[in-house]
Amino acid sequence: MAETGEYFHRFPQSKSIDAVRWLSAVSAFDRFVAAAVHDPDASSSAAAAAIEIHSLTLATSPLSPSIGEPSLHVRSSWPSPSRISALRSSPTPHKHLAVAAATLSGSLHVLFVDPVDGSIDSELSIADRSLHAGLVSAVDLLEGGRECITAGEDGRVNMVTIGEARLDYRRVYDSRGLVSYTAARWGSPMEFATGGLGFGVQWWDQRKPGGLVSQLKCNWAQDKATGIVHSIDIHPSRKHICMVGGSSGTIFAWDLRYQQQPILLSGVGHDGRRVSVSESEVWEVQYDGHSRSSSVTSAASAKILPVMICSEDGILAVLEQGEEPTELLIEPCAINAFDIDPQNPSDVVCSLEWETIGILMRPRESIIA
Amino acid sequence: MPGRPSDPGSEAVVPFSPEFRDPVVYPVHHGVRPPLLRVYVAWSRGSLLHVACLRQPSPEPEPEDSVDEGEAGGKVVEVRLRAGEEGISEAQRRRIAYGSVPAFALLQSRKNSLMAMSRMSSSLLRGEWWQYVLEYSKNISELLGTRRLSSNMVIEDPRMVVQPSEEPTSLKAAWELMEIFYVDKQSLTWLPERLVDWSEDYDSLVTRTELTIHSKLVNMQKKLANVKVVEDDPDYWEGMSSALAVGWLDIVVKLLRFHGSYQLDQLDNRETENGLVEAVAVLVSTMPRLRPDPSSGKLGQFCKTRPDFIKAWEKWRGHLSKLECSAFWVQCSHDQTREGLQKLLKIMLGDITNITSATCHWMELLVSHLLYIRQFMAGLEGLNNLAHKCRQLKPTVHYNGLMSLLIGILEESPEVVLAECSKTFGPWMVAHGIELLTAGSDHADVLLHEERYSLGGISIEELHRLVYAQILSSHPLTCQIAPTYLASCPKQGIGLLEILLYKQPIQHHQVILKNLEICRLYELDNISVNVLKTAGMYNWKHGRRGFGIYWLQLARDEVRLNRIAQQLFKCIGKSLSDDSFKQWEGLLELLGTQVGSSGGLEFLHKYRDFKRTLKQVEDGRASNAARQAAESLIQLMRSPSTPQQFWLPLLHDSVKLLNWKAHPLLSVSETNLLLNKLQDLSMGKLRPDFVDADLPPSALSSIRLALATNLGRAILEEC
Repeated sequence: MAETGEYFHRFPQSKSIDAVRWLSAVSAFDRFVAAAVHDPDASSSAAAAAIEIHSLTLATSPLSPSIGEPSLHVRSSWPSPSRISALRSSPTPHKHLAVAAATLSGSLHVLFVDPVDGSIDSELSIADRSLHAGLVSAVDLLEGGRECITAGEDGRVNMVTIGEARLDYRRVYDSRGLVSYTAARWGSPMEFATGGLGFGVQWWDQRKPGGLVSQLKCNWAQDKATGIVHSIDIHPSRKHICMVGGSSGTIFAWDLRYQQQPILLSGVGHDGRRVSVSESEVWEVQYDGHSRSSSVTSAASAKILPVMICSEDGILAVLEQGEEPTELLIEPCAINAFDIDPQNPSDVVCSLEWETIGILMRPRESIIA
Repeated sequence: MPGRPSDPGSEAVVPFSPEFRDPVVYPVHHGVRPPLLRVYVAWSRGSLLHVACLRQPSPEPEPEDSVDEGEAGGKVVEVRLRAGEEGISEAQRRRIAYGSVPAFALLQSRKNSLMAMSRMSSSLLRGEWWQYVLEYSKNISELLGTRRLSSNMVIEDPRMVVQPSEEPTSLKAAWELMEIFYVDKQSLTWLPERLVDWSEDYDSLVTRTELTIHSKLVNMQKKLANVKVVEDDPDYWEGMSSALAVGWLDIVVKLLRFHGSYQLDQLDNRETENGLVEAVAVLVSTMPRLRPDPSSGKLGQFCKTRPDFIKAWEKWRGHLSKLECSAFWVQCSHDQTREGLQKLLKIMLGDITNITSATCHWMELLVSHLLYIRQFMAGLEGLNNLAHKCRQLKPTVHYNGLMSLLIGILEESPEVVLAECSKTFGPWMVAHGIELLTAGSDHADVLLHEERYSLGGISIEELHRLVYAQILSSHPLTCQIAPTYLASCPKQGIGLLEILLYKQPIQHHQVILKNLEICRLYELDNISVNVLKTAGMYNWKHGRRGFGIYWLQLARDEVRLNRIAQQLFKCIGKSLSDDSFKQWEGLLELLGTQVGSSGGLEFLHKYRDFKRTLKQVEDGRASNAARQAAESLIQLMRSPSTPQQFWLPLLHDSVKLLNWKAHPLLSVSETNLLLNKLQDLSMGKLRPDFVDADLPPSALSSIRLALATNLGRAILEEC
């Protein structure tokens, strides 16, 4: 790895790290990472789960003067009543840094973090079972952090408005358990996508009655590799394409303009041929603003932008349509989540199965190149 | 196991182990009013103990007031047991466990591939093998902690002789000891020097109760900070001779330079004295050492081969004797300096009485012997004899783990080594250290790999891996790595892995998927099917019907899907009238259209299509839709998977089609088919499993009428 100039730092914690997110930074030297942690050894179940705000500082050391040696310190911690199943941070700061967390028991919590010292200023929550009956599998904050969608295994999709002192929610849809949702992502302030079983993807528009606009049929893969959608990402400049990652190393792009033909980046294709970066669960996908190949520089290009994925078999890789995947990390344990810093796309934080937070720093020069 | 409380009336539960002469009493606060009748103790998850305390049930019903107090007949208390062993926290222990997985897995896979090509010359394999084991050992050793200076040591204190480094762990000390003796074949030629290095690193750990040279030096250093004239202090000289006896040359040289005669204002008066001190310092720093790496930053002149060493040693000894007989000693006016320096010279010349008095315990004495008297000591037998002699000279009351481990190694007794590892360092050490032991000697190899009847046909090696794997699987965080160890157990590993996978929680889909991944890695298809079935039923019961069906579909469980289908049909029969169809949309998508994969549920798909076209008909769309609806009606009625209970509702829904104004939509034969079905239905009413459709009483007659009308029209049409 050293020859490509990437640095990977491991920060062992003493509890399991369920999710990690960057918080948009105010200062370039002191950045914050929100981590959802769980400690099964805690004396009471109430003290087991928490959200920790870590600050990442880069200290230049005599050993490596060019790249600072990062260090991670807990700034503040907020105890959660139940283990956290989904975590998102608001992409743009709005007086406070907002972090939305949903739990296994169906509650939603929004934390407001002070952008300067990383302390948790206030917290809003919907803690009863009215929002979701059971695990909330996905939560996503809208740009600006005023609205939030939640989707759960119980088949509910909710729109939560974050007010000054309270959270209000509106049920967008309730399948009453007939289907379950496992991923959700905003496309625009009015539209969002959800994902579920059998690689099904749904596109919702709040302006339309009923909300559901179109959906990718679950069985498009024709039983060759059916699976669960774990993560969806939508690029702000290409809102008509949902990038989807799921079971059996399947990563595909669903273009709303050509709904019947998802573009497979990895997984088992229609001809049964396997082109894949991994054979196990792809837990998260995100567009990677850092990797740019020469062919994609023109905005009109039909090619899909590079995406980063992490998987159960410990791979963190960047995928590009029609090219060999670039593996950034090959870990002996699962990488359960990662997040690309929206402000410094060269830096990636990830959570490893073995109670570790990892920070991957890629050389920044390549943006110019 | 039920037991009686030790002493009626007291609240203590007493664990008893024959190893302890005096049982240790841990009070458990259970809050149950004595007298206790019975105490049940059972292991729970991990190191959690469940203690159930039961009271004597009173023969007559309790008076009212005691019920009000909420007096329980007994209580179950959770007791968390912690191993209080030398400050390795649980989190650190887990970190070690995680870190050793890749090294262990790599070694096992190399072992397997070497076994596969074992037809090749075995000597070559053996040579290759120890390289692999050495690599493994180095990886693990690195994991157990690197000795680095703490960060506040950037500015070096000139008076600091013993560097305060991070506290080394016994675990690492034990691991390195085993590596020195069992794995590192290259080091065998310079074994004495490796032992010297080892004792330098871990001297502080060898005994907690007795004095060590390390603790002596630390104490002396504290004292020296406040002493102006160090050479007057007997501790200064004693500390130096001790450090020299075990070969910590840099410390000795550094200490010698503290000597008062180096100070500029005294240099003139004490010129001879200073000359002597410097001469000794030079001799100390040029001591010949038989070791290959001059890069280690240690003092001394390094000799790679034995002849070189002998030559250098003789020359050096010559210098020593010459200095000892020098006339300058008479001119040295400072008594302590003279005596101290001469003592140092004697130690270097190998004087047994001085060496013995300078060292604190037998291991230091042994090292000292290896340095100054028996540099060419080779072979464990000789070393063992020497160690035995040292133990007689410096008897130790309490042998701690490291000492016993070294004795076991020297006595070439793998059983003792194993027992010590297990007793002091725990199952992790045993499971991983066995690789070093078996690489070390054929005797141990046979001993540990032999299948034993008394262990149920498994070898000692497998037994210890199983024990370790069970400890891993008892904790939710380390449970993920237990399969690696179970998979390396040829006899019972896979069986236990299956049990482990069965016991995993199935509440959340991520966890299920992680378990399925393990099943996939170890090709346990039958387990994954069972996990899927369990998960399916769990989700179904908890109202997540889509997820339930999804898992059962993956498991291809026809039986359960059929049962579920029956339940679904009941729901649908009532609720799936018109508008609520949307609710079912997603589920129907999931079910797909393929026959056989969803146990009759694919019928719903066709049913949905039929309903949809029917709705278009009702909306007054073209007759095209009506024809389509009629077609799907016939398809549904022909299909064997359409449940009987839907026949009547289907027909009732399609009365409009039958009465289609423009022209009859169904042919004669098709109408006959429907009539036959209707007849079957009325006969089916007599059967016990018949489900009555929830329709108005007039429905049947209206269907009959419509069918008859349609038949008449169709006959006319076809004529």
